[in-house]
Amino acid sequence: MSFFEKKRILVIEDEAHIAEGLKLNLVLKGYDVKISADGISGLQDWKDWPPDLIVLDVMLPGIDGLSVLRSIRLEDERIPVLILSAKGDSEDKIKGFSYGVDDYLAKPFNLEEFLLRVDRLIVRASRYDAEGERGEGDLSDRNWVYTFAGNRIDFGTLTAFGPHGEIHLTEQEVKLLKLFITNRGKPISREKLLEIGWGYPRGTKSRTVDNFMVRFRKYFEIDPQKPLFFRSLRSVGYVFDHDSGEKGNDR
Amino acid sequence: MYLPKWKWVVHPIIVFIFSIVALSLSLILYIYWYVEVSAGLKGVIERAKLDPEQILAPQTWVVILVLSILVAIILAGIFIIFVYNLKTLRLYRLQRNFINNFTHELKTPVTSLKLYLETFQKYELSREDQLKYINYMIHDTDRQADTINRMLNLAKIESKTMKGKFVSRDLVAVAKQFYKKNQHVFNRGEVFFHNPSGRMLVCRIDLSLFEMLLMNLLTNAFKYNESKVPRVDITFMPKGRKLYICFEDNGIGLRRPEIKKIFRKFYQTGKSENMTAKGSGLGLYLVDSIIRLHKGRIMAANRENNPGSVFTIILPLNAPAPASSLRLHEKNDMG
Repeated sequence: MSFFEKKRILVIEDEAHIAEGLKLNLVLKGYDVKISADGISGLQDWKDWPPDLIVLDVMLPGIDGLSVLRSIRLEDERIPVLILSAKGDSEDKIKGFSYGVDDYLAKPFNLEEFLLRVDRLIVRASRYDAEGERGEGDLSDRNWVYTFAGNRIDFGTLTAFGPHGEIHLTEQEVKLLKLFITNRGKPISREKLLEIGWGYPRGTKSRTVDNFMVRFRKYFEIDPQKPLFFRSLRSVGYVFDHDSGEKGNDR
Repeated sequence: MYLPKWKWVVHPIIVFIFSIVALSLSLILYIYWYVEVSAGLKGVIERAKLDPEQILAPQTWVVILVLSILVAIILAGIFIIFVYNLKTLRLYRLQRNFINNFTHELKTPVTSLKLYLETFQKYELSREDQLKYINYMIHDTDRQADTINRMLNLAKIESKTMKGKFVSRDLVAVAKQFYKKNQHVFNRGEVFFHNPSGRMLVCRIDLSLFEMLLMNLLTNAFKYNESKVPRVDITFMPKGRKLYICFEDNGIGLRRPEIKKIFRKFYQTGKSENMTAKGSGLGLYLVDSIIRLHKGRIMAANRENNPGSVFTIILPLNAPAPASSLRLHEKNDMG
C-alpha cells in the first residue's frame, strides 16, 4: 500500500477463528485491523475508531448485522461495508443491498477474492473522498432538508418547523427521524427502532420509543391526538407516511 | 397500504369460525324447514282426509337426531383438520428456523478451515504461528464432526430402528468417568457429584447414548450461563425402584412459558441470542428422545432460591445386585 497512513478496517464477526484469520490476512496486506465480537461493541468501535471499511457478519449476538448496517447508514452513507454471511441466497443478498451494503460475500468464501474486493472498495472510497463527490439525497449530507405536509426538517441546523412553530431537534430525534424517512410507509417494530436507533440488544423492553413518538406528534401533527403521519400500529410498531402529492424531497 | 385489508379473511382461524357458523346455521335451517314442511304436509293430509299414520311414519325427532349426528361428525372433521393445519404450520416454522441455524453451524467451521488453508497456501508463516492456526483447524474439525454426529444420531434414534446396546452400569461411576474424560470441555467452570445414598446405583443404559445425554445437559448448563464460574451439581437420589438424577446449574434459568416447549424438536429459547449460544434446537429434544429410549422421563424447572435451572431425569433402577453378579450381567448383555 502506498498510502502514508494505514487504512483501517473494522471486522465485526463473532466467530473468533474466522475473525482472527481475517485479521491475519488483512494485516499481512498492510491494513490496520480491529475486531468486534458483537453488534453492540461493533457500533461502539465504529464511533471510537473510525474505520475506512467495515467487514460485517450477519448472524451476530446482541444486534444482528443488518441492524448494525442500518444504524451506520443513518449517520454515514458512504463508508464501504462488506457483508460476509453464511446465508448466500439472492433473497438475503437483496435484503443486504436494500439496506445499503456495498458488497456481499457468502461463506465459505475464497480468500483471494475477499482480499481483492476489500482493496477495490477501499480504493474506490478514497477516490470519492478526494473528489468530494456527494450523493443525491445523502442522509449524511449536512445540508439536507426534508419537507412533508407543511412541515420542514432541516438536518443541517437540527431544526424543524411544524404547525406549532420552530423546534430544536436533539441528535437522537434526528437519528430516529432519518430512520422513519428512509422507511417511509413501512412499519417498524419497537424492537427494531431500539436496535437501530439506540443500539439496544434484541429483546430490550422499553417505553423510550413511545416517548419519542409522543414528541414527534407534538412537533409535526396538527392534532397530536389524531396523528396522520406518525401512526402506531397495534402489536406491530410505528409507521411514518404522508401523501406523496407534494414534493417530499427538497434541497 | 402496508397490510392488505382483506388478508385476515383467509386466516385459518377466521375460515374455521366461518365454517362452524355456516354449518350450525345450516343445521338450524334444515330442522326449521323440515318442521315447516311436515306441518304443511300434515295440513294437506288432514284436508285430504288420508290416514296420517301411513304417510308421516318417521317421527320428527329421528330426523333431527340423524341430522345433528351428521353435523357433529362434520364439525369434528373440520376441527381435526384445523388442529393438524396448525401443527403443520408450527413444524414448518420450526424447520425453517432449524435450517437457518444449521446453515450457520455447518458453514462456520468450513469457512474457518478454508480461510486458514488458503492463508497457508499464500504465505510462509513462522512455525509458531503455523502451530497456533493448525490447532484452530483441529478445533474446527472437531466442531464439525460433533455437529454431524448429532444429526446422524438423531436420525438413528428417530427412525426407531435403534435398539441400543444396553448394559447395567453404576451411573455415578459412569458420570464421573465421563467428566474425567471430557474435562477440557468444562474447564471454564465446576461440576460436582453428590450421591447421598452412598450405594451403587445401577441402571440399564446404552453407554454412548447416555454420554451424549450428559454432554448435552452439561454443555447447555455452561452455555446458558452468565455466572463468573459456571457450576453444575449432579445429585443421584434413589426413590423406590426409580433413580432421580438432578442437574442443578447457576445459569440464566428458564422463562416460565418456555419450560414446556424446550424439549420440542427445533425449539430454541428466543432471547438466548445475546450470547454466542447458537445451536440447532435439537439438544434437549435429543436428550428427551434418549431418556424415552431408556423408559425414563425428564423434567425441567427453575431453581427455587437462586437463578438457574434444574433438569431432573428419572430412570428405572435395577434391583441392587451384589458386585459379583454384576460381571455376569454384563456378559449376558454383550452376548
